[in-house]
Amino acid sequence: MKEIPVKTEHEGKWIVVKAAVGDDRIVFPAPVNKEILFKSIFDLDERKSILIVSAKGNPETIIKIASVEKVLVILKRLFLANCNAYRLMAYFMSPAIRGGVMIKNAQWEKGSIVVVKTGIWFVSAVKQVCVPLTDVAAIELTKRDVQGKQTDVVRIDHVESGEVVSSMVLCPLSTLQVLANFLKDTTKGIDMKGTELDALDQQVAMLVYSGMDSHAIENMLSIPHKQLDGIYDRIIKLGIAEVMTIRREVQLTTKGVRYISDATKTQTNQN
Amino acid sequence: MGTILIVDDTLFMRTLLKNILFSGGHTIAGEAANGEEAVAKYKELKPDLVTMDVVMPKVNGIEALKAIKQLDPAARVVMCTAVGQEQMVKLAIKTGAKGYIVKPFQAPKVLEEIKNVLAS
Repeated sequence: MKEIPVKTEHEGKWIVVKAAVGDDRIVFPAPVNKEILFKSIFDLDERKSILIVSAKGNPETIIKIASVEKVLVILKRLFLANCNAYRLMAYFMSPAIRGGVMIKNAQWEKGSIVVVKTGIWFVSAVKQVCVPLTDVAAIELTKRDVQGKQTDVVRIDHVESGEVVSSMVLCPLSTLQVLANFLKDTTKGIDMKGTELDALDQQVAMLVYSGMDSHAIENMLSIPHKQLDGIYDRIIKLGIAEVMTIRREVQLTTKGVRYISDATKTQTNQN
Repeated sequence: MGTILIVDDTLFMRTLLKNILFSGGHTIAGEAANGEEAVAKYKELKPDLVTMDVVMPKVNGIEALKAIKQLDPAARVVMCTAVGQEQMVKLAIKTGAKGYIVKPFQAPKVLEEIKNVLAS
């Protein structure tokens, strides 16, 4: 077994330990005293530079690991290659489109797709990208031009820092159908009929996505604030949008009017 | 910053792009609702850049792009496509489009692409 220095969270504090990594397990010595078999790992999440590993057992083990990028890459590769997950070999392009703009020089990479409990991992020799299932906005079996041929691919859209990022997966059609169905089933909580919003509501949603604030939307669509408020209520209720900021509109009281009148007089006298 | 001609058959998308481009400090040279109008407006206005919708009535975006490139081989045209129209994008790039943006738009990304194309 090889020893790798990592930071791990133990009793609410981050401590440095030398984890022993073997072919089928990782062992955290005292005071952590945990041994995780790779095949018992059912979830792997990455937030910033912290890996969150969940493994079956009684009770379930959840361990957070932080380390330098090089070490995390090795650990992710080991975990993802051996964990308990839906896995398939595929070509993928991730990201292919970001915020409506196609990524220049995006290329198909040979690797695998690993679906764990809370995320989809795109793994190749040089890349390990995680798309959390909660961030998945759409999954579609579609066609894309690959080397001049219209080819079946699965497009996975997810939201990252407020923008939609699309990834493409390419493998035999039968596998793509299984993947698309599996992912749709996993993320069915976000499915909508498509008839929930009327044309104006849809325009508002599109403008929100484009980054317009409420004033800009009111001006663009020539609608009063109250009407926009009603539309916001509807899209929030549907779970399509969430409140970011509540802006207060105020008017001056008599005291306030007197204050700024006096201030203006003072400024005028000084000039 | 540059002068931009916006070509799209829907008023909503034109207004959206106009707002995004205006917020980025660009000047809107004009608008066109189809490919035929786009070519005429290009001749008249000589904008620094054109944002061109692909699917439009009368003359589509690809045909309009070809016509503009014939008029001015150095024309900077950015195609606006919907997701799934990659074949169109490829054709547009072959025809001489300098960039492409995919609907629905996000303002920062659109401005970044426009900036890159204007700098090219």
